[in-house]
Amino acid sequence: MNNIALGQFYPSSSVMHRLDPRMKIIIAIAYIVASFLCKNVISFALLLVSAFALILLSRIPVKIVLRSIKAIIFIMIFTAVLNVFWTKGDAEELLVSWKFIQIYMSGIYNAVFIAVRIIAMIIGTSIFLTYTTTPIQLTDAIEQLLAPLKLLKVPVHEFAMMMTIALRFIPTIVEETEKIMAAQKARGADFTNGSLAKRAKALIPVLIPLFISAFRRAGELATAMTCRCYRGGKGRTKLNVLRFTYRDFIALVFIAAFIAGIVLLNIYAPGYSM
Amino acid sequence: MAKITVDNVSYVYSAGTPFEVRALDGVCIEIKENTVTGIIGHTGSGKSTLVQMFNGLVKPSSGRILLDGEDIWAKPKEIGKVRYRVGLVMQYPEYQLFEDTVWEDIAYGPKNMGLDGDEIKKRVSEAAELVGLEKDALEKSPFDLSGGQKRRAAIAGIMAMRPEVLVLDEPSAGLDPAGRNSIFDGIKRYAAATGAAVIIVSHSMDDMAKYCSELVVLSHSKVAMTGSCREVFSKCEELESIGLGVPQMTRLVMLLREKGIDVPTDIYTVDEAEATLARMLGGAL
Repeated sequence: MNNIALGQFYPSSSVMHRLDPRMKIIIAIAYIVASFLCKNVISFALLLVSAFALILLSRIPVKIVLRSIKAIIFIMIFTAVLNVFWTKGDAEELLVSWKFIQIYMSGIYNAVFIAVRIIAMIIGTSIFLTYTTTPIQLTDAIEQLLAPLKLLKVPVHEFAMMMTIALRFIPTIVEETEKIMAAQKARGADFTNGSLAKRAKALIPVLIPLFISAFRRAGELATAMTCRCYRGGKGRTKLNVLRFTYRDFIALVFIAAFIAGIVLLNIYAPGYSM
Repeated sequence: MAKITVDNVSYVYSAGTPFEVRALDGVCIEIKENTVTGIIGHTGSGKSTLVQMFNGLVKPSSGRILLDGEDIWAKPKEIGKVRYRVGLVMQYPEYQLFEDTVWEDIAYGPKNMGLDGDEIKKRVSEAAELVGLEKDALEKSPFDLSGGQKRRAAIAGIMAMRPEVLVLDEPSAGLDPAGRNSIFDGIKRYAAATGAAVIIVSHSMDDMAKYCSELVVLSHSKVAMTGSCREVFSKCEELESIGLGVPQMTRLVMLLREKGIDVPTDIYTVDEAEATLARMLGGAL
């Protein structure tokens, strides 16, 4: 239960950690776009190298980052295998043909490309958004990036506040779940044996107290916020104001150059193209 | 023979990571039959981890827990049976109530034990009576009860399993004096009716002095002292050096002695103090 990987912020003071969270969100989106722009061997190689460069820049142990890839390894292999079988290429590059199974060279290429793309996307987004950015910074940044929507009467501040509160209470609720499960186990509840239906039913004595205390806690939190004069986002100032620095603009130049490089490679690099 | 023997038990949280914490370190204690044993210690001394070991919710990293001389982890698959024999009331147990009525909530444990309907009925009304819940309260939703009643309903839910050992982690936390007394009275009635061994974890030295006959003092994951209430509370300075106090009446006696009044030192409860001081003043108060 303690090992749920939720926003695993990894404290450090690397260049990545010091970037403005707004810029990190923009760069993360740009990086995903870049991974989709890649079309040939050289651009995918560049993508893979850039992903590992990101890990080095963020000074997060490679082992920890690879753990987040482990979680999606099944999806990765699954899509790669599908691509091997489903890609149809030119007749002269047919590698295997057995009954209805036909494997083309381009299928192999595509499978590898997609695996690399998924790896780069996971590494990129987790480095920018979870490992080097605290959840609070992230919601702050989202609130500011979405600020223009206020003109359309979208309650941006309220959404950000809800997100902050939700993130804040995840560990609390996990801890509470453990406590209630222990209490019901002490009364003979069995969560591990029996049929799926039986195990699902065994969770009722955990879920009901959990929901009730969540509602109670929400009420208490609302009262506590009211007592401290919280009245929504209007006219509210920030304790930590986000400011772009030269670092953020350098990062922006880097990602722009990266995308431009990939586009150029797509056009000029030789070899198989997706 | 001891009811429960804790044999050189240690427990380590998050072993092998930088966040490793040693919650218990070579703990050896014996819980006697038919007695009320108190466990005291400041926050983080390992009390809650220890009580969760008595019924097998937490497995020791090393060492053994013996119940009637048998290792409870000898057959890990049958640890569920140990939980019926050693009933654990966790901290703030009212948060575990979930059924439609109080009656059904108390019946949850006995139902899990696989008892038949008549036996369940008998046990529920018995447990409700022990903790002093009225008949009409049993038909209510547990969420409509007062704080003290909820706590008593939750304790009744454990008593209804009729455990041979009743373990309570901070049973009186957050209750007013009246609620506190009714909880402890219920525990006393249960012990008297069943002859069960009772283990109470508490911060309140006065409650300990009033209700327990044996004490275990934990400090920094180790056993600092064990013995009868008298033995433990007589080591006043030692208790204070650990960061724990002594009962208020013991403190009163100490202050009187400092003033040169020769009061006997073995006074721990209000009743004892009243009787002794009345005698010394030469008449009834």
